[in-house]
Parts: sequence; structure tokens; C-alpha cells
Amino acid sequence: MAALCRGRHRWKRTNCLYVVKRNLTGKYDYDLVVVGGGSGGLACSKEAAQLGQKVAVLDYVEPSVKGTKWGLGGTCVNVGCIPKKLMHQAALLGTAVKDAKKYGWQISGPVCHDWATMAEAIQNHVRSLNWGHRVQLQDKKVKYLNVKGNLVDEHTVKGLTKAGKETILTAKNIVIATGGRPKYPTNIPGAMEHGITSDDIFWLKKSPGKTLVVGASYVALECAGFLTGIGLDTTVMVRSIALRGFDQQIAGLVTDYMETYGTKFAWSCVPKRVDKLSSGALQVTWTDTQTGSRAPETKALGLDKLGVQLNDETGKIVLGADESTSVPNIYAFGDIGEGRPELTPTAIKAGKLLARRLAGQSTELMNYDNVPTTVFTPLEYGCVGLSEEEAEKRHGKDGIEVYHAFYKPLEFTVAERDASQCYIKVVCERAGDQKILGLHFTGPNAGEVTQGFAMGFQCGAAYSHLLQTVGIHPTCAEEVVKVNITKRSGLDATVTGC
Amino acid sequence: MSVINDLLCNRRSADVMAHRLLVRRIWTLSMKDIRCHPASTATIASSSFSTSLQSTTTRVSFLSPSRTLPRSLPHTSRRAVSFNVQDHEDFTERVINSDLPVLVDFHAQWCGPCKILGPRLEKAVAKQKGRVAMAKVDIDDHTDLAIEYGVSAVPTVIAMRGGDVVDHFVGIKDDDELDSFVSKIIGQ
Repeated sequence: MAALCRGRHRWKRTNCLYVVKRNLTGKYDYDLVVVGGGSGGLACSKEAAQLGQKVAVLDYVEPSVKGTKWGLGGTCVNVGCIPKKLMHQAALLGTAVKDAKKYGWQISGPVCHDWATMAEAIQNHVRSLNWGHRVQLQDKKVKYLNVKGNLVDEHTVKGLTKAGKETILTAKNIVIATGGRPKYPTNIPGAMEHGITSDDIFWLKKSPGKTLVVGASYVALECAGFLTGIGLDTTVMVRSIALRGFDQQIAGLVTDYMETYGTKFAWSCVPKRVDKLSSGALQVTWTDTQTGSRAPETKALGLDKLGVQLNDETGKIVLGADESTSVPNIYAFGDIGEGRPELTPTAIKAGKLLARRLAGQSTELMNYDNVPTTVFTPLEYGCVGLSEEEAEKRHGKDGIEVYHAFYKPLEFTVAERDASQCYIKVVCERAGDQKILGLHFTGPNAGEVTQGFAMGFQCGAAYSHLLQTVGIHPTCAEEVVKVNITKRSGLDATVTGC
Repeated sequence: MSVINDLLCNRRSADVMAHRLLVRRIWTLSMKDIRCHPASTATIASSSFSTSLQSTTTRVSFLSPSRTLPRSLPHTSRRAVSFNVQDHEDFTERVINSDLPVLVDFHAQWCGPCKILGPRLEKAVAKQKGRVAMAKVDIDDHTDLAIEYGVSAVPTVIAMRGGDVVDHFVGIKDDDELDSFVSKIIGQ
């Protein structure tokens, strides 16, 4: 072994590990090493392995400031989409129970919620998903290492276990899919000591109790939404606007609904300091007019010394259309990519296409346009395409026609629920067929409603197609194909049922 | 079967001897067990390390033709029956290097069927009065070990004898199926 090492020493600065792990190409340990075992990383590595590549995926969860950690699967599985949607469902069920009385169900007394029961069930489900992912990697013959990855050079990754043991892997290509983590505001004393983030909330064993949510992104509003829904006293502290990046008229409807249903809002406020009182409660001092957000996990990767270009403002990796970075053989995608949507489905698709390209099986690039999404606030908001303001910017106010409608879900009638914010907006080009530029829907099951329309959008649907489509009755979705009142007309957009 | 177990559970040590005859009369299977035991012990002895021969010999003497079992045996067999695997070394020591055949119960706290199978397995193993042991492996705590043994769905039960996997099953089994599975492992 020693003789072999010495021989190799001439053309490779390596240790004996390389000799032991020589693969068929003879040069690198792996065809592909993926750093990050989240939605994107797992999809990419499995696809690559299926195409015959020798792949390793490194996943490591740095505990949160509060010490929370989790298993394989990334943000979506552990501290994002999955637990979020389940807690959202818990909250919706609470509302449904209240509605149930109006529908004849005999429910004696007030119904209260037990956090511990919900948390345990959700956490158990997440653990089953961690396991499922582990088994999948095994089945698809992807080597999995629970190590913290660090790039040594464009073909070498160093992995560090929790105990500090080092592993070196060499690869023909390296893909970075480490995503992001919540970022504490550094200018608010007490925030880090006393505050928690979305990393922690889903893993709490005990109810958080009365909560102040600092921020008004979709993460903040979704959390505030389900906390209110399960009966907790919740306030949202908003610096300037809610749901930045989304259609602002709709954002207003979403927050109006939340306010009507019990979430308190502190508009145009930022926390100044957080103190812990002798009672154990936290005291937040605020002022009118800075907050948390998510920051990319690039620091620990060693990207700076490799010359991988990062965006100065966001710290995210600057990418080409093919997910390439400024360094050959190093690619990146998912939440860590500058300008990329922070969504699981786009990360998965981009990862698969990247794997195919790297294996030489395809040249298809990821299409980041027309990506539908849904915000799972108490009043859900689904959309695909441009916001009204973005469409106006691109085509001019006179170049677009906005069809809209305020509708009332049938289920709300008997339940005597306020539907003032249930709304549909279809933003179209004004001329010709009136190609749909953006579609927006607020109401129950917005995600389910929007998914189908996203396909129409992808096919280049125009308003004329909507007119040709027969609605399914009685549904909320049918109101989308029935939309006919324009904003331009100034007419009352409230539509009645049949 | 449960009636017999109750009998065993509730037995005060003073009455152990008197009731053993009753147990043997009802539990027809066990007659065969006791008869076959020396043979099965010999099988175990041959496939495990020589150091264990001492203990197996001692065990055989417990089941001598006079059929006088010491009073404490039911208690020890029930107490020492199942254990939670702590780490890889523990697994090697208590499962791979075990003189007894060992059932390894791979389970998870999020797995509903595991919670049903667990007690059933304990019952089936307890019936064997110390002829088989059971190791419990929480796959979230010992993921690598579970993956090493090819576990994908839970519950998965692997039977090991002399360090080799001799049998396995996935999913829930009822009491009778478990009894025959365990009996097969012991070697009847």
C-alpha cells in the first residue's frame, strides 16, 4: 500500500484513501458528489445514480441556535413544507370543528387543542420520511455520508463528521445543494438568545404559547396563521409590506383575512430589543420602521477560496442557466442559487435535469418560468405567472386586461363565514386572444385549484380558453373559468352563485 | 396460551413446583420442547463459541429428565428476554456473539404496526423460557445498523443464530405465526 501511495504521489496530492477507492474512470472516487441532502440534492443524486453514475450525497444538519436538529431530507421534509402543511391542516380542522356545529354536529363545549399530541404525530411522520429517504438512497445505490461538506478544490470535497473525523472524496463533478437557513437579525439585542425560528417551531415539544412573529414573508404568515388557528395569541410584526414578491393586492386580502380571524398585526414596526422577564415571559420593545430572513448555507463550504462567485447582497451562488457556477465542474441549484425560486418542486426538477446533463444524457435546461405556488396561510393563496404590478411593468397598464371576481365558497354559507377576501384575478394581455399572464386565487384548497390551471398556463392558455372551458359545479374553481368582469370597467366584481 | 402465561405470571414461588405439572399437561407443545431441548442446545453449542459450552451444559442440566426446574427460572427468562441495542458493539456482543438464537426486532416510534408486534414478540419469546433472546433496534437511533441488515420497511424481524441470519419476516404476524417462527429458530 505504501509503495502504491508513493508512486501516485508524483501526479496526485493524495493519501492512501484514493488508492483504495479508485473507481472505473480511474481518476476520481465518484462521478458526482452532491453536498446537501434536501429536496434538490436527493433528487439529483438519485437521478444520477439511476443513469449509472457513481454518486455520493453528503448531508449534515448544523443544529439551530436553540439546538434543534433533524434527519435526512432537508428543509422541506423537516422544517418546511411538510410539518408546515400538517400544522396548517391542524388549524383548518379547528375552524372546521367550529363550522361543524352549524352543520348539525352536536359538539358539547369548546374544543381545545393539545400541541404535544399534534407535534408528536407530525414529528413521527417526519421521522418516517427521514427513514424513507435513507432507504431510497440505499436502493438507488447512492452513497450517503452524514458529514459536513467543505470544498477543497474543484474536484475534492472534505467531509467532517459530528465527532470531527475527516473523509476526503474526489469527484468529477461537484453539486452544491445546501439550501438556506433562517437568519437571526444581528442588530436586535436579545433576539438570538430568546427568539426561535422556523427551524425550531416544528420541533417544539411544548406549545409556544403567546407568540410574536417578526416578519411578514410567507414563512412568517403561514406560521402565524396556524398558531392562531390552534388557539394561540399571535401577533405579526411587519416592517413594511407583507408577502414581498407576491401580488400586493392579494397580499392585502390574505392579511385582512388573518386579522378578521384573530391574528394581530403590528404594521410598520421593527423590534428593537428582546428581554426575558422574571416571570419567564419575553418582552419585545419595538419601534416604527429591520428582521429575520433566510440566508444561504455557503459560508462553511469554502466557496470563497475556490473563486465561486456569490451575489454580494444575498450571498447566494451566481448561476448560469445550466446551474453552473463560475468554477468549472462545480454546479449549484435550489435555494442556494441566486434568483431561483425557493421551492421544492423546482429544486427537484432542476436537480434531475442537471443530473441528466452531467451524465451526458440530455441538454434540457430547467424552465423557471410559469412556476405555480401556494401560500398556506389561513386563507390560502395560489398563483401562477405574473403579479398584476409585474404585468403592468412589462406591458403597461393599457397593455393588460385584468378579469376579477369576489366569490363565496358554498361551504361558507351554512357555516356563516365571512368570505370577503375570497377572490380570483386573471391578468391577461389586452390584445388578441388575451394570453393569460398571471392567475391568482384566494380561497379554500388554493393549491389544489391552482395546480390544474398551471398546466393550462404552461400550454399558453388565453382568456378565450377560459371562456371555452365549462366549470365544475358547485366548486370554487369554476369561478376561475367564469371570470368576466374587468377591473377597467369599474363594475362591482362580486359574483353570486347559481 | 394466555391462560398459561397468566398462570406463569401470577405464580408465587412457593407454588411453582405444583403448577409446573399442570402447565406441562395443558401445554402439549412444551412436552416436545423439553424433550428436544438437549438436542437444540447441542446445535446452539456447536455453532457458537466454545466458551459458551459451559453455560449450555448448565442449561441442559436444568432440563434433566427429572424435570425439576429451579424456581427462579421463569423469572430470569422473562426478565432477560428482550433488551434494547445500545450501539454497534452492543449488537456484536449480545446478538452476533450470543449463544442463544436472537430475534432482532427492528422498529420505529413512528410505526404503528411495530407497537402491535412488539408485545406479541415478547410474548412468543417469553414462552420459550430463555431459549431465545430478543434484541430491539430502534431504526432512527441505529439507522446504519438497520440499513446494514437490509431493513426497508418496519417492523422487520430478523432471526440470528451464531451470528448468521437464519430467518426473517416483515410486517405483523399473529401469535400462532410468531410461535411457529420462534420454534423454528430454536430448532424444533
